[in-house]
Amino acid sequence: MSSAGGIIRALNSGVKHLAVKRFTLRYPEEKLKFVGDGFQFDPQTGVGIAGIKGRHILFHDKCTGCQLCSIACEGIAEAIAMVKVNETWKHNKKAIMPQIDYGKCVFCGLCVDACPFYALYMTNDYELSSFSKEALIYTPSQLAVNPKVDQDVEIKIDKRGATHG
Amino acid sequence: MSTIAPEFRLSRFVASLTDLIFWIIVIFTLIGLPIVLIVLFYAELPVIDDKLLTPYLALTWLADPSRTLPIIKSLMHTDFFRITAFPGFGFAALLAAATIYIERKFLAKMQLRVGPLYCGKIEGILQLMGDGLKLISKEIIIPAKADKPIFWIAPLLFVGTAAAFISLIPVAPGWVVADLDVGLLAVFAVIGFFPIITILSSWSANSKFPFIGGIRALHQMVSFEIPLILSLLGIVILTGTLNLTEIVESQQHYWWIIFMPIGAIVFFTTILAELERIPFDLPEAESEIVAGWLTEFSGMMYGLVQLGSYLKLYAFAALFTILFLGGWNGPMVWPPFPQEIITEGIKMGPITMHVPGLPLLDQEMLNGTLWFTIKTIGVILVILLPRGVFPRIRIDLLLHTGWYKLIGLAFVNIFIALALVYAGVLGPGGLIQ
Amino acid sequence: MTTSLPPGIQLEKTDDRIMTLNVGPQHPGSGHMRLIIKVDGDYIISCDPDPGYVHRGEEKMAEYRNYIQNIPHLERPVIHDSCNILYPYCLAVEDLLGIEVPERAKYIRVIASELNRCVYTLYWLAIYGIFLGHSTMFMWPAGDREFCIDLLEAMSGARVTHAYFVPGGVRNDVPANFEERCLRQIDYFEKRLKQYENIFYQNPVLKQRTEGTGVLSKMDAIRLGTTGSVLRSAGVDFDIRKKEPYDVYDNLDFQTQVLKEGDSYARSRVPYLDMLESCRIIKDALKKMPKSGSVRTKLKPNPKGGNEEAYRRVESGRGSLGMYVVSDGKPEPYRVKISVGSFRNLICMPYLLKGEKLGNMPAVYWSLNYWPVEADR
Repeated sequence: MSSAGGIIRALNSGVKHLAVKRFTLRYPEEKLKFVGDGFQFDPQTGVGIAGIKGRHILFHDKCTGCQLCSIACEGIAEAIAMVKVNETWKHNKKAIMPQIDYGKCVFCGLCVDACPFYALYMTNDYELSSFSKEALIYTPSQLAVNPKVDQDVEIKIDKRGATHG
Repeated sequence: MSTIAPEFRLSRFVASLTDLIFWIIVIFTLIGLPIVLIVLFYAELPVIDDKLLTPYLALTWLADPSRTLPIIKSLMHTDFFRITAFPGFGFAALLAAATIYIERKFLAKMQLRVGPLYCGKIEGILQLMGDGLKLISKEIIIPAKADKPIFWIAPLLFVGTAAAFISLIPVAPGWVVADLDVGLLAVFAVIGFFPIITILSSWSANSKFPFIGGIRALHQMVSFEIPLILSLLGIVILTGTLNLTEIVESQQHYWWIIFMPIGAIVFFTTILAELERIPFDLPEAESEIVAGWLTEFSGMMYGLVQLGSYLKLYAFAALFTILFLGGWNGPMVWPPFPQEIITEGIKMGPITMHVPGLPLLDQEMLNGTLWFTIKTIGVILVILLPRGVFPRIRIDLLLHTGWYKLIGLAFVNIFIALALVYAGVLGPGGLIQ
Repeated sequence: MTTSLPPGIQLEKTDDRIMTLNVGPQHPGSGHMRLIIKVDGDYIISCDPDPGYVHRGEEKMAEYRNYIQNIPHLERPVIHDSCNILYPYCLAVEDLLGIEVPERAKYIRVIASELNRCVYTLYWLAIYGIFLGHSTMFMWPAGDREFCIDLLEAMSGARVTHAYFVPGGVRNDVPANFEERCLRQIDYFEKRLKQYENIFYQNPVLKQRTEGTGVLSKMDAIRLGTTGSVLRSAGVDFDIRKKEPYDVYDNLDFQTQVLKEGDSYARSRVPYLDMLESCRIIKDALKKMPKSGSVRTKLKPNPKGGNEEAYRRVESGRGSLGMYVVSDGKPEPYRVKISVGSFRNLICMPYLLKGEKLGNMPAVYWSLNYWPVEADR
């Protein structure tokens, strides 16, 4: 008769969970909040700063066109290509800057680790889908834009269960 | 998205509209009208006030407010209405559809998730309609070497047998499609059809996975039919009748579940096995044999099988309510029809309107229907609960349970019933009436 | 039959009783692997596993990438347990290049490794539930993974394929309020894990289904070379974290979970007990972690090793995961060989399934803790 006891306990556990709150994150209406501004790297200490690895942001006033990010990516995903830009900067004589193809990028962040001039970071923006493959290639001027995100939901734990709220 | 749909041109739109209207008119005149006339030639028309109620007369009378309601009431007592709408197919299909939606939301709440949410404004209530439309629009693929006539007919037979089962269930006093004196025996006969249909559909698909699924379904259904029949013999001994309406009427003061709890538990377990619900869903075991005997069905054939399955669920739950939980008996909670409306008419400001023929349905019947529905929904919720709690059982444990344990418990139940009758506690001339 | 068949193709002999079932790669019950099962009625006569459908040539590709570029590459076999599969690589490369790892980095590595173990085990448990037909046991672990994945995302920046460990430490320090958040979520996570007892592990239907099936005796387990939870459920007390401790595992206190029966029920229970131990390890490591310090030793650009080789192994969610790295003076390794627990445990399957009923096939197959993508690399 221990199996009858087991059956009743299992049913009891199932019924008790009808009173626990639902855990689902209702995605397009609610978006998860992330800690910090995105993954960054400090080349002086050689250690990164924790953050989410989303879309990259390129600071045009720091990038010197040294191609280290592109070389780092060559063994991984070959997603960074250097293209000519028509901006004149004193520190960027060759006037080339990285262009990232998000169809190939795996968001590992090793290009951020490779940049020695504090020019390439990653941001919180992860909604990058588009209708065509060409639109996924982000030019340097597109990469300079700071994305606007409104993410405000996190996991809350209380007596009746955990929810995303 | 806009690269897939063609561009909108007004001329093409108007052309398609006129095409649609043309075909509607053609089908209506060539097929629709003859069918209506043939049906009216053979159908039995009711007689009201010594006049035969043809459709033309009915339409004339419906315009007169004093005759509207008697016509509708007489139509409600015809066989056609009973079969298609109230205790028959319409009511059952509505409850079956509501059951599918409630099942998905109920399981979702137990599993801490949401269930259907986006289809329909309130919490996904139109999800079923979306699923039905999707199934209708899919292509029906028949395997090349399948036995085509049987393969096509099998889902229709399934729904037909489920509908036959529903026709034996009384919902309110006097409201049953087929009032048989041997109602319970007819229920057993109809239940015996389901394994045949399952094995036909799995054998005619001519493929390995349906074959295994069909054999398992046959084993399962056949081995659980015997405890099902035996567990109900206790009720037959105590009431002395096989007529389902009389069994409900004999439960006016107490329900049979108080005296036959073991019988109720055995019957409940065999219901789960006959419906192929978890924990007994071996014939459809998804992780071992893809989808069991349903593997080769696609499109609306699959939809029909699901419809038949949920109609069976409603019918078994209703049977449980009738036999063990007192059917439509319950305290009178439906408010009585106000008498002033019959004698004096409805007062709307300066006008008083007399509407003869009210009340449409009497209070006893509505009260009975309400209690029946509440109890059936309760039983359905208890049937849905094991789906979230138990894994799937294995075939040898299933056969062991069906042939040893359940038959043993059913016999214990019969002995209890016999003891109660012979001790003079229940039954005719007993202490408790 | 006068026509001769091309080599490698067999004609199925039609026998009266024996039926050949192809539980193929496109099947709700098999993952990315094919099982050719010969069935007589309901009993399995022989089972022939056919892995290799997901083989990519990871080890060959690793020879064309330098030591740092190998990090996103080698974590791909098991994407949600990625820290555990990079762990032996980082340890081996640190041996080759002679790098010393700071103390705080070691503790962070331990925490990340244990969180990854929980994430992988819950995914495995979810699929085990659905193989047995228990849909609630699929939804609850899949939802409870969120607590661990949330912490990993705060640490490393990605939910799966973290690319977090490098030779020399970890890539970035944990954020500011990590410790308090981690303790809160791990506490609730442990409470959720204890709910699985009533509905799954003590469920009589589950016990009848899995107890006594696919029994692996202690001698057989050692002889066939199994590893991980399969070995520990057969009664052998072997956990690499205790026997060959790496990083700071010799500093933390935890028990090896050993069960004696060796049947599918024990194999499904050992990872669950391991997860409860992991929660204890994480809480202990958070207490003992040095409050500040560097988390990465700076490497020279393009590090090169000498003409040496190194082999290190780690206890991952599936068993012992070892990496054998050979270098010959170039920035790219000469050879990387990955030795995975899944592939080693696969050898048990023909032995365990012979004579079993067909209904036991999912219970035994998935209880061997087999991850198809990792086994094929």
